[in-house]
Amino acid sequence: MNTVANVTGQYQHAGSSTLYAAVAVINDQQQLQICCQQSGDVLSESAAADYRYGTIIPGLPVELRLRDGAVFLPDDAHFRWPSQARSSGWAARLESHKLSIVAAVLLSPLLLWWIIFDLMPIMASAAVPLVPDSVKQQMGKQTFYTLQKTTLKPTELSASAQATVHYHWQMALQKLPLTNKNYQLHLYKSDFFGANAFALPDGTVVMTDDLVILLQNNPDAILAVLLHEMGHVEGQHSVRMVAQSLGATLVIGILFGSPDGVADLLLGSGTALLQNAFSRDMEREADNFSLTQLQVLGKSPKAFADAMSALLEASSADASTSNQLLKYLSTHPDTAERIKLATDLQQ
Amino acid sequence: MENSVSNDAASAENKPQRASKVVFSGQGGEFFGIWIVNLLLSIVTLGIYSAWATVRTRQYFYGHTQIEKQPFRYLASPIQILKGRIIAIVIFALFFAISYLSPVMAVVLAILFMFVSPWLVVQSLKFNLRMTSYRNVRFAFHGDYLGAFKYFILLPILSVFTLYLALPWALKKIDHYICSNTSFGGKKMQVTTDTSSYYIAALVAAAIVFGVMTVVAIIGVVLGILMAVTDSGNASAAALMTSVAVFVAYFFAFTLSGAIYHCMIRNHLFERTELPGIAKFKSKMEVLPFLMLTLTNLVAIVLTLGLAYPWAKVRKARYLASVTSLIIYPQIDTLVDEQQSENSAFGEEAAGLFDVDVSIA
Repeated sequence: MNTVANVTGQYQHAGSSTLYAAVAVINDQQQLQICCQQSGDVLSESAAADYRYGTIIPGLPVELRLRDGAVFLPDDAHFRWPSQARSSGWAARLESHKLSIVAAVLLSPLLLWWIIFDLMPIMASAAVPLVPDSVKQQMGKQTFYTLQKTTLKPTELSASAQATVHYHWQMALQKLPLTNKNYQLHLYKSDFFGANAFALPDGTVVMTDDLVILLQNNPDAILAVLLHEMGHVEGQHSVRMVAQSLGATLVIGILFGSPDGVADLLLGSGTALLQNAFSRDMEREADNFSLTQLQVLGKSPKAFADAMSALLEASSADASTSNQLLKYLSTHPDTAERIKLATDLQQ
Repeated sequence: MENSVSNDAASAENKPQRASKVVFSGQGGEFFGIWIVNLLLSIVTLGIYSAWATVRTRQYFYGHTQIEKQPFRYLASPIQILKGRIIAIVIFALFFAISYLSPVMAVVLAILFMFVSPWLVVQSLKFNLRMTSYRNVRFAFHGDYLGAFKYFILLPILSVFTLYLALPWALKKIDHYICSNTSFGGKKMQVTTDTSSYYIAALVAAAIVFGVMTVVAIIGVVLGILMAVTDSGNASAAALMTSVAVFVAYFFAFTLSGAIYHCMIRNHLFERTELPGIAKFKSKMEVLPFLMLTLTNLVAIVLTLGLAYPWAKVRKARYLASVTSLIIYPQIDTLVDEQQSENSAFGEEAAGLFDVDVSIA
């Protein structure tokens, strides 16, 4: 082992602010002796087990911490103790080496991208079967109950309109090999949702009066929407969404989390954009499910395109949002893109 | 060595008080290497190394923050940070999952969290101050749960019922609670802040938000009329531009008012805080330089897709140090913290499960 001769620095006793200009010496037995520069008195003597080296940080001196709480700090910020194990300096070497810095600049964004967009969806999908059915039932029930209390009102559709929707629903349930056994369709009037449909993780599917009225002349389009919602249930999207959002929030929180206001704003919007990206992926999956099952049922994928076109027309304000920039702010894929997918399939 | 070095305690008593500045000597380029390498290592280890990264970053910033050429020191071990982080992640994941499971449970959990959070705040302050040392003397926090609950939860909630009129007073109480419970070498800080200063700062900040919004609204109306008259531009483009402009205006208004409030309160708080017999503090923050610093930092971070973050962080630390000064009394050269000198500095035996800062970041 290395001996260390005459390192000048400052010494402080445990819990004491009194500073001594001092000299540290480490002999071949790794015994440390610290002497006062002015008087030459021995301030401290320690065996190898009774002192430790501080962390090596680029640009900062490496302190000696004594067991009793005393500290010796070298004057020279660039001085490194030859007697300190070489392995304890690896982090500092990486942090100040050009090659590793360049590598980190290149690799960090790539790996982060891969973790968030590839690894986490895979892990989320793997975690979904671990969630017991009873939990999904609860998730569905509780959310449904809250919606019933807040935004859903009894349907005002005619009996025949209701029958049409239920007829297509039953047909799909009977003819398709579905994994979820608890499918339930409900019709509600809702000013809050407008023309809309949504699925809950337990297999509850809700379609609003406005949407049924919008598509009343095209029952196959209603079927296409129902199949889209079934696609969400079959793909267990609710649970996957929870797992992925949690994962992304944690990853970003751990890696970048800081109480800095500006960074918070950026990261907050980043997380929101991520959630929207996850949501769009799942909408695409549900779209594909709907298109495939339409064909299984002997219907044309055009029915799906019709449903989308009708929705697009109904909300003409949405037409102007087919903007490249706004794409990232949306929870659903671009409607024109979804129509194109359906018509492509049809050809 | 600097002239503060002295082993002659008796003569130190007679020296007069001395003025000193806080100096931050960190370098943006140097910290960039530390930051990006630690980021990569944290990613590769799936977040585990982030505890080491946090400790190294704090050691860098503390070590470069110096008063009379004496650095601050950050004493926590990465394992302590890792433990706290794991606890925080488990709690957060449970809260997150359960609140998705059931909206009713989400409300129950939010109320529960309201009662737990003061404990977490106290725990965090205790941990972080105990892990901070200057000239080998540690800081400490002496607040308890009841005080934290009163000042962090009860007063802000009650101030809602006064239409936020009591909020500046509540904010003063919070600052007072934190500072007056902080000690250095066993001596508690003395805080004599004014309620009126908090009200003035809040009024100025609110007036700024109101003023900027009014100006933006007027410009918006004028532009709208102009566009209607000249019949130029389509409706959707105008709608998009309006929403972007409103967002930018909101952001600017709140950044500006935040900067003003922060400057006024920090200056006042430092002016009225002292460590009796050890040090008095002084802060001379000015709104414009601080606002420019905040905005240019933000622009740099956005334009470089985050790569300017370390540079921005170093710049901010350097600015905050440069506007902070102290009057130091000779007693600082001879402080002895009895309690601290009794325990082993290696601390293996003391660390319990909750001797941690429960925090994700």
